[in-house]
Amino acid sequence: MTTDSSHRDPETPNRPESTRPETAGEMAPGGSGGGQWRRASTTFGRPVHGHRLEVRDLTRRFGDTTVVDRVSFTVEPGHMTGFIGANGAGKTTTMRMMMGVLRTTSGEVLWDGDAITAQDRVRFGYMPEERGLYPKQGILDQLGYLGQLRGMSRQAALAEAQRLLHHFNLGDRVKDKLETLSLGNQQRVQVAAALLHQPQALVLDEPFSGLDPTAVDSMVDLLREYTARGVPVLFSSHQLDLVDRLCDAMVILHDGRVLASGTAEQLRATQPKRHRLTCSADVGWVRDVPGVSVEDLEGCSAVVTLDDDSVRSDLLRRAVDRGLLEFTDLAPSLSDIYREVTR
Amino acid sequence: MSTRTQAAWRTVLTREIAVKVRDKTFVISTLSTMVIIAAMIAFNAFMADRTTEHDLATSGPLAAEAVEQADAAMGDKTTVTGREVQPVEAEDLVRDEEVDAALIHDGDSWSLVADTEIESDLETAIEQAVSQVTVADNAGDHGTTVEQLNKGSALETTFLSAGEDRGLATYLLRFAFAFLFYMAALIFGMAIANSVLEEKQNRVVEILATAIPIRELLYGKVLGNCLVAFAQIGLYAAVGLLTANILDVTGEFGWALSASGWFIAFFVVGFGAQASIWAVLGSLASRSEDLQSNTTVITTVLVVAMFAGLFAQGPWLVVASYVPILSSIAMPARVLQEQAMIWEPFAALVVCLVSGWLMLRLGEKVYQRAVFQGGRALTWRQALKLED
Repeated sequence: MTTDSSHRDPETPNRPESTRPETAGEMAPGGSGGGQWRRASTTFGRPVHGHRLEVRDLTRRFGDTTVVDRVSFTVEPGHMTGFIGANGAGKTTTMRMMMGVLRTTSGEVLWDGDAITAQDRVRFGYMPEERGLYPKQGILDQLGYLGQLRGMSRQAALAEAQRLLHHFNLGDRVKDKLETLSLGNQQRVQVAAALLHQPQALVLDEPFSGLDPTAVDSMVDLLREYTARGVPVLFSSHQLDLVDRLCDAMVILHDGRVLASGTAEQLRATQPKRHRLTCSADVGWVRDVPGVSVEDLEGCSAVVTLDDDSVRSDLLRRAVDRGLLEFTDLAPSLSDIYREVTR
Repeated sequence: MSTRTQAAWRTVLTREIAVKVRDKTFVISTLSTMVIIAAMIAFNAFMADRTTEHDLATSGPLAAEAVEQADAAMGDKTTVTGREVQPVEAEDLVRDEEVDAALIHDGDSWSLVADTEIESDLETAIEQAVSQVTVADNAGDHGTTVEQLNKGSALETTFLSAGEDRGLATYLLRFAFAFLFYMAALIFGMAIANSVLEEKQNRVVEILATAIPIRELLYGKVLGNCLVAFAQIGLYAAVGLLTANILDVTGEFGWALSASGWFIAFFVVGFGAQASIWAVLGSLASRSEDLQSNTTVITTVLVVAMFAGLFAQGPWLVVASYVPILSSIAMPARVLQEQAMIWEPFAALVVCLVSGWLMLRLGEKVYQRAVFQGGRALTWRQALKLED
């Protein structure tokens, strides 16, 4: 495994450029517009070599309450998989069960198709929900300790910790105690702790919360290094726009159940296709076109869904006569999908 | 992979020790205790070596003789000297504090003049000396001798068990054992509990649990703190011995060494037996305030152990010397008093070891369940009921 951040695995698929229009909700925080958008678009290239992390019918009950109910999904090799859901949806409980910190009531966690073992989990990187390392210990020192516990030599652990801290611009603070760092910087150290031992899978609970846009980008770069090597990455977040920007696939959890999962494209395909139609004059007439339902209408512009493809030519023919300016497919944003499925 | 897992508790242990050694409060308290131990031994040696001098003014025919008798009676470490003065001068000398007191004999009566106070030892010695001198003088007047008057009055006391009387020294040593054990158990116990709680509170334990079996974390933690505690007590013992050697007073403390050896053995085992309890208490708490309340039981046991070690006598002491933890102070105390049979300390050690092992196994169960349960403080029973 290489540790050079500039190195990219040759088998990394080229990410197809997005054809989706930008909408305000999909703008990346801190992103610089189109370029940012393009790089972060979703991708479904051929599967990368690597490991597959899967949960099957995972269930957890606390007393009479079922917190996680027969949850099944797969984190494909090299896929950045977003785990989305409201507070209390069961994301953290699921992740803790995946990491073996919490016992499962039923169901199983599979690693490359086999029941997961403690030895497999040693090679995972994990970032728990509530942050925490040792507040009163120097950051390099404790990263060295955590590396050692995962079977690295102290030297190797310290060297990798140095590299990661340097990546996060903490290179000159390695001797500082954790508690003297700002919350954002503590978060970076936490990330470093999860990445230290060249993990073969990453399970990150809210890794981006509390990070500024620059830090998010720097962390995304780092995570891309891992997905490029085929490492499956599962991360939870409430920040839908961020998940939309980063994810290759996503799992939507609600009240302990998986409402939807799959690649972003698969999820979008489940949604009715919407289109925007703009003409030079008022478009109130579209209401009268058979097979067209209007979702939104404002002066010269309307958002419509079509019953089938044959309606399209009819609609366009009429529109051309009325000064057609624009007819675009509107890909649903993740927020739209999320709202739709959790409705 | 198995070789790696074996080493995990050692990594934990190394960290525990490193954290402790770098802890300024710990280092300072250890150093100051070492200084106090050295100072106490030096002070005792000094006190034992010190000679007290009493200077008296005497006046009258028998006064000088009485002072000589008093000097002889007071032993090697105390000297009483007298100088003959005129009765009128005597009071002035006392008032000017040139002498400790003045002993005046004017034929029929004696008087002892002091300024504000007089040492009771000196007063008693003078009283007896005066009485003897006067009796001897009176006997002479009646043509007989003191020896004749006292003939047949000698009382000989026989001790069935030979040996020096070391009542006070024994008590002091018991006190030292009891206090050292109590302090070490409390300080290191709290350190273990806090270190467990720190990991629980900061959720580091979740990360650690994915890396190593959680029981190895417990072993490493308990063992690491035990080793630091043993090193500390060893250091104290070394400072004590070294100081005693330098001051050349080992002969006087030699008898204490065998009991101290047993104390260290019992310290190690007794401390180890209760160490895992502290780790469990740390895992049951959810905030450091919880430790205040849930450590009450163990601290009470330690206080009882200290008082049993200090004050228990007879059958109570025998019982205490077999109860784990209490035995750590009580059994060395019995050895110190030469009450214990040769095999008894070994038996008590075995009892303590076995109970310590059981404690560790039970502690492991509670710890593994409780350490992931944040939010509220748990009791032992609640923790054992958890499904983890």
